Amino acid sequence: MNTSTGARPALPRDPGTSTSLVVCDAAGRTFGHGSVAVVAVHGASCVVSSSSRVALVGPSGSGKSTLLQLMAGLDTPTSGSVSWPAWDSGPFQDPSRAGMVFQGLSLIPSITAVENVAFPLLLQGFSHKQAIALAIESLDLLAITGLADKLPEELSGGQAQRVAVARVVTSRPRLIFADEPTGQLDRVSGDRVIDVLLEAADHLGAGLVLSTHDAAVAGRLDQTWRMHDGELVVAA
Amino acid sequence: MIRIWLAGLLRKSPARLLAAAGGISIAVALVAGLGSFLVTSQATMTQRAAAQVAVDWQVQVAAHRDPNAVLNAVRSAPGTVAALPVGFADSPGLHATAGGTTQDTGAAKVLGLPPGYATTFPLSIRLLTGSQNGVLVAQQTAANLHVTPGDQVRVSRAGLAPYWVKVAGVVELPQADSLFQRVGAPSQSQPVAPPDNVILLPAAQFQAEYAGLAKTRPDLVTTQIHARRDHAGLPTDPSSAFTAETGAANNLAVRTSGAAVVGNNLGASLDAARGDASYARILFLFLGAPGALLAAGLTAAITQAGADRRRKEQSLLRARGSTPTQLIRLVLVEAAVVGVLGGLIGLGVAAVIGAASSWPWDLAAGLAGLAIAAAVVAVPAIRDLRAVAAGESAKVTQRTQPAWMRFGLDVVLIALGLGVFWASGQNKYTLVLAPEGVPTISVNYWAFLAPALAWLGCGLLCWRIADTVLVRGRRVVAWASRPVLGPLSQTVASMLMRQRRLVSRSAVLVALALAFAVSTATFNATYRQQAEVDAQLTNGADVTVVESPGAHATPADAAQLASVSGVKAVEPLQHRFAYVGNDLQDLYGINPSTVTRATTLQDAYFQGATAAQSLAQLKSRPDAILVSAETVNDFQLNPGDLVKLRLQDAQTHTYRSVSFHFVGIVNEFPTAPKDSFLVANADYIAQQTGSDAVGTFLVSTGGSNVSAVADRIRNVVGTTGSVGTINDARGLVGSSLTSVDLAKLTRLELAFALLIAAASGGLVIGLGIAERRRAIAVATGLGATRRQVRRFGSAEPAYVLLVGTVCGLATGWGLSYLLVKVLTGVFDPPPTGLTAPWGYLAALIACTVAAVGFASVVVIERARRRARSLLRAI
Repeated sequence: MNTSTGARPALPRDPGTSTSLVVCDAAGRTFGHGSVAVVAVHGASCVVSSSSRVALVGPSGSGKSTLLQLMAGLDTPTSGSVSWPAWDSGPFQDPSRAGMVFQGLSLIPSITAVENVAFPLLLQGFSHKQAIALAIESLDLLAITGLADKLPEELSGGQAQRVAVARVVTSRPRLIFADEPTGQLDRVSGDRVIDVLLEAADHLGAGLVLSTHDAAVAGRLDQTWRMHDGELVVAA
Repeated sequence: MIRIWLAGLLRKSPARLLAAAGGISIAVALVAGLGSFLVTSQATMTQRAAAQVAVDWQVQVAAHRDPNAVLNAVRSAPGTVAALPVGFADSPGLHATAGGTTQDTGAAKVLGLPPGYATTFPLSIRLLTGSQNGVLVAQQTAANLHVTPGDQVRVSRAGLAPYWVKVAGVVELPQADSLFQRVGAPSQSQPVAPPDNVILLPAAQFQAEYAGLAKTRPDLVTTQIHARRDHAGLPTDPSSAFTAETGAANNLAVRTSGAAVVGNNLGASLDAARGDASYARILFLFLGAPGALLAAGLTAAITQAGADRRRKEQSLLRARGSTPTQLIRLVLVEAAVVGVLGGLIGLGVAAVIGAASSWPWDLAAGLAGLAIAAAVVAVPAIRDLRAVAAGESAKVTQRTQPAWMRFGLDVVLIALGLGVFWASGQNKYTLVLAPEGVPTISVNYWAFLAPALAWLGCGLLCWRIADTVLVRGRRVVAWASRPVLGPLSQTVASMLMRQRRLVSRSAVLVALALAFAVSTATFNATYRQQAEVDAQLTNGADVTVVESPGAHATPADAAQLASVSGVKAVEPLQHRFAYVGNDLQDLYGINPSTVTRATTLQDAYFQGATAAQSLAQLKSRPDAILVSAETVNDFQLNPGDLVKLRLQDAQTHTYRSVSFHFVGIVNEFPTAPKDSFLVANADYIAQQTGSDAVGTFLVSTGGSNVSAVADRIRNVVGTTGSVGTINDARGLVGSSLTSVDLAKLTRLELAFALLIAAASGGLVIGLGIAERRRAIAVATGLGATRRQVRRFGSAEPAYVLLVGTVCGLATGWGLSYLLVKVLTGVFDPPPTGLTAPWGYLAALIACTVAAVGFASVVVIERARRRARSLLRAI
């Protein structure tokens, strides 16, 4: 499915050779109308493939999260287009296409870590038994099986984010989006979360796009795309 | 700082403040409304108690004292409107020859009435036939002597020659008991029944006949001063009015230096009314207090929903240097704003619905609103402040049982409640104690404990049930929810289990609100039902036709009444007088096969058998007779005993012995007096007395168009009978609460109960709303469809609703039983069972489900739409 509202400029592309999963073509997103309109993203053009390891950096309010949401299909561009060549609809409709790691503590508070990880599978219709088995596999993959029976309130911020990554991994997505996954963590915890994200992306062969305002985090990924006042600047 | 905080509060959280104020306003409006009911009903009771007294004071003039001096003293007593002297004389007997027969009676009373007596005391004499000017004969006396207006009666005098009088009219003396009381004597020394034979002379004629005897036998001729008192000037509260009137009577006795003894009929009537006023207060407490407590609980739930925000704000302010004292001030300001706003809204609502008319109650209600605000807004916030200072954070899950659950407090409370209930039963649930002659009245407040403890115990039991089902029955919950939730069912069951404290608390709130509504509605429905039964018991049927003395109606005349448009059934009821030993009692002759076509007989009317069984016993043999409990006790009767009554023969007009067999006990019967009476087969009475004369026709209209049908019947019967309706009886039954404007109280309570139940249902969604929003936002963020989110988000409200409704209905029904039993005193006759207001109950459940459903959909949809921003914010 394509969402198109404008002309098609030249597209920056990641250096990998794999399949293109997301194509943004002068995509823009404006909130509000008239004198109160706020342009969050302006004419962003980019391509994300399964081998992409992209850090989207920029100051707060520069439009990073909005661009991530456009790429994930969580939001619709008000100008330009976003398309997903491999699929006929936005990847976010199906956890096996794309998964999102949110900025804050996004676990459901009253169920255990393993149940949180199994949750997307249950939404997909897996049986409870199957979903739990796959969730344990994911936790094992990220070496956090010991957290399985803990409640979110019993986890540290870093542990909770790793469980959130495991929740994405368990659906075996081809795209992983992470919206400031280390924003509320200290350096050590943040590094461990990035380790886990990179391991997961490598293991799944999935594209990874994460937003951050931390240069050190950005430096660990293959590519850094910068956002400034809604404009996307793609580095070579 | 306070001003800035207040401005921010009003600007940023007006909805939350208004919701909390709304909860308080419910409590305030309820208290103000019930207080207003109490005040107006007490005033109504006082006025009704005073209005139904025929003669307010009967002042007995002592022997050899000057009646005129006493008359002047009574007239000059503050509050006396009118006073007239009445002569009383004893006669050895009366004699009359009428219709070719001669009759003699036993001892009789002769009264001398001054001109204007009937207009000054209109309730004391009711003319049945003839003229009121001249010599009047009481109805029973006229029957005994077979006299009608125009006949002559010879009146005997002790030691003097008898004299003859010509009967001008036949009258009924509606309050003969008090008219012929032994003034000043204690109740146990009062005559058991008024005299059978009474003749009323004009004062001049009485003076002429008894002036001489008064000098020689002052024990046989006395004077009473009958006084009418100012009812409008009485205090509105029956207790105060009783105290004032008793004081006035005592003052007269002192001022007349023993020349006068006051028979204070007005005081006695107010004495009974103050008991009813106490029952009104009890009803207020029973039915109003739980509502006010629930409204407080609702407000607590609303403020609890904002607890997270409050904690964050407090942490922020503490981090920026605010002192605990400053924060406490801010909390108190918020509580004051909510309390004052809730109070004003509540009083406004009470005024709009016409339920705020008493400033002391309005003030009390306003203060109650402030107290609730302090308890549910300020106290938790100050407690949180300590937690913030200690760096604690709120936990959403609960792994251990609360202490009360471990110690079984719920079971203990219910057991204690049942124990108190049993103990109250030993005392026949006597709540209001009004010792005769004592100006104060006491209420057995201990009896409140039974329903109060049961209410609390059942609330906690509901908590335990909700908790236990989630912990031990998790698999059952998962299995039961699987058709709706699919693979998510086990996860949702786990989720509910871990949130069980929140879930159980919500279920308790819904259960208690529903229990309050159900018990109030059931109690009121039972009360209305019994008031209707009482009215029908008093009148006999929808419409009754009482034949006038001298008229001779037969069962065949029922056909004429049956032909009147709107009449469903007509049943003739014989009314005779029969001597049981020397005691003259009312005897009713019925056809046991058909009597229930025109009237309703409750099981409570009979002792040791149901109504149907009693009628079957009556039908089992022609000479069967049902006897009132009092007569059974007085004459030590046993079932199957032969009872010989003396009945008047229609041909000879003499009393002859007729044999009956005692088959059962009757406590109440339509149109019958409350003390002693008999019920037998009409055919047998007609056969034994030679007359099938009917005293009353019971007419059923099917409960509709009573007044219109009664008017049509009046046109048919003319002057041969008087027509009474159940509508008239409704206004007359007792001085009790039945006559008070309970309909307004009922509407008020039921409306508030419905509002509280619906609000509770809706507001439980507000409990733990932060966690619920987060779960919904996460599910949405993970790609759940709208349908999945709705089902996932509805699981908890559905469980709360299910457990709350089941527990609430069961608790409400149980409490209704306790209330009806404990408040037995307000029912006459006592109900045989509870009356379920099905329509109201259906509306109640529908409103609660709708409120929960609506609130759930709003919260879920809002959280779903705002998932992205919520996920970014958490």
